[in-house]
Amino acid sequence: MIPLTMFWLIPLGYAFYLSFTEWDFMSPDKLFVGMANYAELADNPAFYKALRVTLLFTAGSVLPTLIGGLGFALLLNSKLRFSGIYRTLIFSPWVTPTVAVAIVWSWIFEPEVGLANNVLRFFGSEGVGWLGDPSWALIGILIVTCWKSVGWAMVFYLVALRNVPRDLLEAAAIDGAGSLRRFTYVTVPLISPTTFFLTIVLIIQSLQAYDQINVMTQGGPSGSTRTLLYMYYQSAFEAFNIGEASSVAVVLVIGCVLLSMVSFAVSRSSVHYH
Amino acid sequence: MTETKISPILTRHLPLVLIGLLMAFPFYWMVTSGLKTNDEIWQFPPTFWPESPQWGNFLEAWEAAPFWRYMANSIGVAGAIAIIQVINSAMMAYALTHMKFRLKGLLTALILLGYMVPNTAVYLPSYIVLSKLHLLDSYAGMILSNCVSVFSIFLIRQAFLQVSHELVEAGHIDGASHGRILGSILVPLTRSSFAVLVLITFIEQYNNYFWPMLITKSPDLQLVSAGLRSFFVEGGAYGLKWPLIMAASSFTIMPLLLLFLLTQRTIMQSVNLSAGVNKG
Repeated sequence: MIPLTMFWLIPLGYAFYLSFTEWDFMSPDKLFVGMANYAELADNPAFYKALRVTLLFTAGSVLPTLIGGLGFALLLNSKLRFSGIYRTLIFSPWVTPTVAVAIVWSWIFEPEVGLANNVLRFFGSEGVGWLGDPSWALIGILIVTCWKSVGWAMVFYLVALRNVPRDLLEAAAIDGAGSLRRFTYVTVPLISPTTFFLTIVLIIQSLQAYDQINVMTQGGPSGSTRTLLYMYYQSAFEAFNIGEASSVAVVLVIGCVLLSMVSFAVSRSSVHYH
Repeated sequence: MTETKISPILTRHLPLVLIGLLMAFPFYWMVTSGLKTNDEIWQFPPTFWPESPQWGNFLEAWEAAPFWRYMANSIGVAGAIAIIQVINSAMMAYALTHMKFRLKGLLTALILLGYMVPNTAVYLPSYIVLSKLHLLDSYAGMILSNCVSVFSIFLIRQAFLQVSHELVEAGHIDGASHGRILGSILVPLTRSSFAVLVLITFIEQYNNYFWPMLITKSPDLQLVSAGLRSFFVEGGAYGLKWPLIMAASSFTIMPLLLLFLLTQRTIMQSVNLSAGVNKG
């Protein structure tokens, strides 16, 4: 209980308080400035850019992870030889340190001789600048992020699919439903609690993504991969602008709580527990 | 799905083999790039197996930076955190599930909320707390600030909820203390959740990067991710020593891949357990 208070509850309140102050971390007193930090944030184009990148990053990592996870799980569902090996291969990226795999991927994305461009050239394209190109850097980071988490989502879906009652599917088949209809009207609703859970957890994870951005692009080129969290890190620990950083953090928290509330509302109407 | 008889080899194995290879390929590429010479790694088109494997690269990378130290730090810190978290979460979960006290509902609600709030929000203030305690840049600081996790409390709470109250009551009647009930009734019954918790926490902490990097300055205290990253940056990163960097990445990943191969059943089981969490 004490550590929970010390490193969780108190800091949370403190962060809230700091967001109303002006402080550089060094000087002994903090200046209370009320809403000034938030007003500045609202006028700061960098904030909106970071917000946009955050939303793109979230959508671009959560959706492919969910769809890929479900797709792989469908392929692996039902008794199949070697399914354990496939599962292990697909899951293993999740276990490994993000920093290490991000380094490997930055070699793969190397523009001259990197594997990614070699593959593109094989298909007749010229290849792209990847991490050095503002319009491709985010995509590069998203590829790594999805690669890392898709196996994790898959394992959740495997459990969910196993719990779909067979007789329901068979009943639907007798009623003349084809496999696509059975999937959309029986399977998808029945696994919706898992989808719901994964969506929330993946959103929270993507809001906190840092390691791969730090290794691969450091928020660049020209801010194209700077998320809100990365902005927070830079203003807190590089620029020592504690007030601004805290207000970014508060915005993040409020966004998270709002999102969770929205998803709970959605889940009430569309998630089916059996 | 019943009509898979057509040809499972074509419809399932083929895509799965492709997907599996695709997922594993970065690992393969990492190890083989670590075995290439500097000329070969820059060669076009790339070779899929090094012409003459440079096993010496691994030794050279190992000696180029204090990797043994980084890995020992990571293993030590992660191990300590895992043990403390287990004890902590067991006690918290016990209080939340099998004890009666005021504000219990509020406490549970707070923890539920904590599960949703990204811990980003508390980095900065936690940093200040640590500096006030003079624990920045120390093992104690790294361990202490990570010794509680909302997720772990949740996981264990979930497991304890499934143990019937009657058993605990029976313990009370026999005059057992809270500690004894926890130690000899609840924990043995929920062993598997604890195994999962230890493994997951260990893996997470071994891989941890952002927070330890923030609170430690001295290179001696660096964990493996931060150490690897500084090797990547300092070692003439963006260009010169790619084979060594790949070799270093390979051996920092190995302990985890090994651990995963040995314990994958337990790790996969975590999904069953944590999938239950959201129904609590």
